[in-house]
Amino acid sequence: MVTPIGQDLDTFWSALLTGADGISIIERFPVKDLRVGQGGEIKKLTRAIDWRRVPDSRAARLLVSAADDLCVQAGERPLGVDPERLAVVIGTALGGVEEGERALAGSPRRFPHALYDAPGHALGRWLGARGPVITVSTACASGATALGLGAELLRRGEADAVVAGGYDILCRFVLRGFDSLRSLTRERVRPFDRRRSGLLLGEAAALVLLRREAEAGGKRLGTLLGCGSASDAFHIAAPDPEGRGIERAMRAALTEAEVDGTEVDFVSAHGTATPLNDTIEAAALRRVLGPRASVVPVNSMKGAFGHAMGAAATLEAILCLLAGRHGQIPATLGLEELDPACDLDCVQGVPRAARPRLSLSTSLGFGGCNAALVIESA
Amino acid sequence: MRAPAIRAVGLLSGWGEGAASVPLDAKAAAAGRAVLEVERPALDPERFRRSRRECLMGVAAVHLMLEDAQQGPEAVAGERTALLFATTAAYAPSNRAFIESRGGSTYFPYTAAAAVPAEVAIAFGLTGPYEILIGGAPATLRAIARAAALLEAHACDHAIVLAVEVFAECADVFARVRRAPRVPLVETAACLWLDRGHGTIIFERRRGGTGGDRARIGEMLSCEPLATLALARETGGEGPVAVAGTWRGETARLEWSARPYRTRSRVA
Repeated sequence: MVTPIGQDLDTFWSALLTGADGISIIERFPVKDLRVGQGGEIKKLTRAIDWRRVPDSRAARLLVSAADDLCVQAGERPLGVDPERLAVVIGTALGGVEEGERALAGSPRRFPHALYDAPGHALGRWLGARGPVITVSTACASGATALGLGAELLRRGEADAVVAGGYDILCRFVLRGFDSLRSLTRERVRPFDRRRSGLLLGEAAALVLLRREAEAGGKRLGTLLGCGSASDAFHIAAPDPEGRGIERAMRAALTEAEVDGTEVDFVSAHGTATPLNDTIEAAALRRVLGPRASVVPVNSMKGAFGHAMGAAATLEAILCLLAGRHGQIPATLGLEELDPACDLDCVQGVPRAARPRLSLSTSLGFGGCNAALVIESA
Repeated sequence: MRAPAIRAVGLLSGWGEGAASVPLDAKAAAAGRAVLEVERPALDPERFRRSRRECLMGVAAVHLMLEDAQQGPEAVAGERTALLFATTAAYAPSNRAFIESRGGSTYFPYTAAAAVPAEVAIAFGLTGPYEILIGGAPATLRAIARAAALLEAHACDHAIVLAVEVFAECADVFARVRRAPRVPLVETAACLWLDRGHGTIIFERRRGGTGGDRARIGEMLSCEPLATLALARETGGEGPVAVAGTWRGETARLEWSARPYRTRSRVA
């Protein structure tokens, strides 16, 4: 993975546990004309990669950086899989839109890189994958959709290994968009907090290597038991105020996993820190988790480095795996005074010692896209 | 995998409405036009006042599909209908407009690839499983296969597979990047209504190869397989039906073991 708080899995995990703050003033493009000019920006890609093999596109380079870390974690570079049987499934909200900005600013040769599936194909080439290369774009739920589709490729025997995940970059296009919607806060990001006033955007790429259970070997971090999705059919940008879409997605994921909401040990929440999202998500979680909702620990990472859009759901899934491996749940950075309207057991202040076996990850996106994952720790 | 039945189709393209409007030779029928445009569909102007043309095309295609099935929107509304959307670049005009500052805050949400299916879901009350794939014809073929899997798993009772492509607003860009524009770009919105069917369906993909029938229908990118399936319904016979498409050096192919159509075209 590559994030504003760490460009490898171990650094990321340490940063989450110690409460590192990845929010800063954006330096890579002009922001002076915007209401809010801060976010979770990665100042420099630090991994030693031969960039001559990668298109000059930040989106592609973030993905390749994350893949490089994935290969290190897997202990094999290139991945020890028949290239014909290696698939890539990538989620993104913005694809190569920054290349569109650059192309329209006078570099027309960049247009092909502006297509939303271009960075995913660049990653496929870098990995040497000759299996399916798929891009999904369910807005900020993309990273979850990608994992679900990746699992489907394994189930159907279309691939033996799948590199799946999500990414998005901070660029002027998206910052201007969210700034104009007045969704961005000038304060700090405070998921589930009484004083929360909006989100900040971040950039990241996060990938997992999916294998069938029998072929996963000893390095397995966990198992993706279920994935569910649902549409709100409510509004082009605002979530359903009753959270029926995210509730349906959670129930679908639990059904596929063949588990009940009462069995969930941990929730890696979407928790954007917008006034609307957190209340809606909390209410939906209470309905799904049932009587145990008030004792199931919940975390949102948005306070640490902002909303990573297409990467967010994959990062949230990875958090479930890391919590299970290390027996700790990081605190929700920015949360100081829990909003009574978000009556959940949000981990606050310091990490909590707990080793979740069964975790639920939730994602909501523009266009009424909802997705949920059920993950079992190894 | 158990095959999905095709209950109805909706096809709106630069050639007109329905399969009957599609010519036998795209290049000849285009008569030198590089882009065959679809006019902004005349849907409720108040309700859709902010919607972009590509969104309205998607809504119009689903209306045509329901008309084809002789059903009202209530037949697909609710959580038992999945919506699977595929596109190559339907988001490009909205992205461009926003970059060039022709759209304000009201229009930013329409820059998302999810905008078209969102408008369709809202218009028809589709609240079931929801996926959006980006790519050319293989993305749409995969969306059909994904719908088949969801139907087989009883995650839904119906599935709508929708694809939309628009070209007019970015015609200059396409003119610059297309290597061999032998056929015109044909704006299209197309969809299938799928139910659980009989027989089996096989999805295959491979590097290289060719597929599709661009010489006849023009360049429709992700819409091509759906247009091809709409055209195939017009021919008789009970044998297998196969459709293929290529994008970025990959060919995907779907084959039904038996004819999948539940209805004949109403214009046939």
